[in-house]
Amino acid sequence: MWNPLGYKELYRSLFKKHLARQEELLKKGRPVGWFFSFHPSELIYVFDVVSAFPEQYSAYCAARGSSVALIDEAISSGYSHFLCDYFKTTIGSIISPEKATKPLMPKPDFIVGTRALCVAHTEMAEVFARYYKIPRFFVNYPYWTKDSLKNVDELTKDAEWVDEIYLEYVISRLKKLVEFMEGIAGEFDEERMREVFKTSEKTSELLIEILKLMMSKPTPGSQREIGDLVFIAFFVLGSDYALEFCEKAYEKIKERVKKREGVSEEKLRFLTFGIMPWHTLELYQYCESKGANFPVNLYVNASVHRVEAKDPFRSMAKRSFHFTNCDYSFLDSVIKTARKADIDGALLLENTGCRITSAIIYPLAERLKEDLGVPSLILEAPQCDPRMMPIERAKTKIDAFIEALL
Amino acid sequence: MISKIFQEFFVKRRKIEEYREKGKKIIGTMCNTVPEELIHAFGSVPIRLFGVNEFKEVYAKFPSWMCSYSRGVMEDALRGFKVDGVVSSTTDDTKIHLFSSYTFYVKPDFSYLIQFPFVKDELSFQFFKNELERFSLKLANFLKVDIDEKKLRDSVKIYNEYRILCSRIDSLRSMENPKVSGSEFLSLMLISQQMLKEDFLQIARDFYREAERREGREDYKIRVHVSGTDFTDVNFLRNLEDWGLAIVSDDFCTSAAYYSGLVDDSSIESVAKRYFSICSCTMSAKDSPIDERIEFISRRIEKSEAEAAILMKERGCEICGHQCSWIVRELNVPVLVLDYEYPISIEQYKTRVEAFIESFGR
Repeated sequence: MWNPLGYKELYRSLFKKHLARQEELLKKGRPVGWFFSFHPSELIYVFDVVSAFPEQYSAYCAARGSSVALIDEAISSGYSHFLCDYFKTTIGSIISPEKATKPLMPKPDFIVGTRALCVAHTEMAEVFARYYKIPRFFVNYPYWTKDSLKNVDELTKDAEWVDEIYLEYVISRLKKLVEFMEGIAGEFDEERMREVFKTSEKTSELLIEILKLMMSKPTPGSQREIGDLVFIAFFVLGSDYALEFCEKAYEKIKERVKKREGVSEEKLRFLTFGIMPWHTLELYQYCESKGANFPVNLYVNASVHRVEAKDPFRSMAKRSFHFTNCDYSFLDSVIKTARKADIDGALLLENTGCRITSAIIYPLAERLKEDLGVPSLILEAPQCDPRMMPIERAKTKIDAFIEALL
Repeated sequence: MISKIFQEFFVKRRKIEEYREKGKKIIGTMCNTVPEELIHAFGSVPIRLFGVNEFKEVYAKFPSWMCSYSRGVMEDALRGFKVDGVVSSTTDDTKIHLFSSYTFYVKPDFSYLIQFPFVKDELSFQFFKNELERFSLKLANFLKVDIDEKKLRDSVKIYNEYRILCSRIDSLRSMENPKVSGSEFLSLMLISQQMLKEDFLQIARDFYREAERREGREDYKIRVHVSGTDFTDVNFLRNLEDWGLAIVSDDFCTSAAYYSGLVDDSSIESVAKRYFSICSCTMSAKDSPIDERIEFISRRIEKSEAEAAILMKERGCEICGHQCSWIVRELNVPVLVLDYEYPISIEQYKTRVEAFIESFGR
């Protein structure tokens, strides 16, 4: 029996509050910014701007079934097939809004691109800004290597050492971002920044605790619910409603762990990684219903970090310390997590178009096998294009994988 | 002449073997934003990693849909081609993850990823300069040598001489009756990245003297500029030329975008200035990287009097993927886009190129 945590209602209430905020700010004529994952979302609340997220909107289109037409629209307009689905879906919605799921994202007044995860975010920001002829800003985070960052905790992103040359540059770009946003949204309020970061810190602590509790035995929650935590960690961290959500979500999972209840009768424990296929989230439920649960989702883990309100700029820079923005020597930290979670296997999603998540799964599978003796199943699953991953074919592969492990 | 030395020095990599036997360290680079002068000044040999165009081993370790350049480099390494160190830069996601995969699987003795800023302002320039100093220090430690300003001056001089000579050969390509073909020019450029520049200079001087005396080609139908990123397929260009095109210019990262731009003096700051200002395919720009790239291509088209452009759009290349539609839209000449992926089926391209030539009424 599949027994989820019951976060659905909490998410509904969260989205309602988020949309109400957007509506209110739009009415007030506040500027609209488009942002990407790993952007320091706290600044959205410091400056009271309307935020829209092409990635989240594309995921929404995928869940509602319009992404395929939008992707085709982008390709027929000359963009390559092997580009990020989020890019293709968003471009499709710009070129042919009539084909896109409503409500559309509000038109942007500015765009902020970051390279805290991928260069693709800056490429997207550049192309979107060209369409709308609006200003855009880039924040350059380094891609961390073993000689610039040491001993990072996979979940909290607390690091033993970081090269100050790089950190200083990121912080200087973040300060320039604040100046850029001041030019668009009005004066920067330091007191407001302190408040937002306090909220963000509390929220981040709760997110980390929730993900730690997910590693309990049996696995207490479903990835259908946990996966959406990325929305909080990436896009609304710093808001009151995110904190409210996390307080309730934490209580629910804590209670579940206390009672030693699982999402299903646990037979196997899987680690998973890859951007979630938003069109087919039933994939996770299918596995969980068969007793194969997911105590670790590295994609969700990558989205969180322990915010430090006492030093907001350093904290914003720390957002980039996730293993997908580090060379593969940082897989050591992933192995530690996998060992702690006592996994039996891994479900890894190769995503045609996402160079970041796809290139890393091969070394990840190799390390899991070498260090823990754990096998991996690699499925091709772009996040917005269901044509590349027919669910029935995926189920057959999953069945065979589970059968081999039991 | 060219095809023979191309076989020797590019296909068989004779010079690299020779340097290795002499005890020199070979440092492979993955992007034309890696400042080779700094590597050269330490007495080691900077070579651009190009890899192969046939894939087998790589499929178990690297995504099969990523660009053929990255797959080729990985395949080559997995088949056993070894270098002492690798240096890449953060110019695109492919280069970043090629670097990570390479260091994970191949484990070279030295590796460095240059953090390339995406913004061209004073602050970012200072950061980039510091980054190159940091890189120099790490490489000097690995090679167990000291940073020597005189040696850097000599290297800068050799590289500038190389760039000036390349530019002169390039001018022979863009003459009214081109004396150098596009395939010859690309061959030369590729060879030049597989050996020390001082060794290449002798080959290039001989070639220039011989080419200057040629009568030049008259029988072409259209003068074209070819555009793309890490393009290495000399045979493909030769086919285009056989079908009636004169390739009078290009902006490949492996060719014109590689040699363009001089270094002012022998300081790391000057080296940083040159690499910071190049704008071939990178996302780095003062305002818009797409505008800067289009400007770079337009300047070359104007100078070479190309009548059309052919965009070699590699299917897995993210830069081509994002920028091509804008380049097509904003260039002031007719553009033919050729999507490609290895293995290439040449016949289908022939039909398209012939139709393109016909559209000019020739």
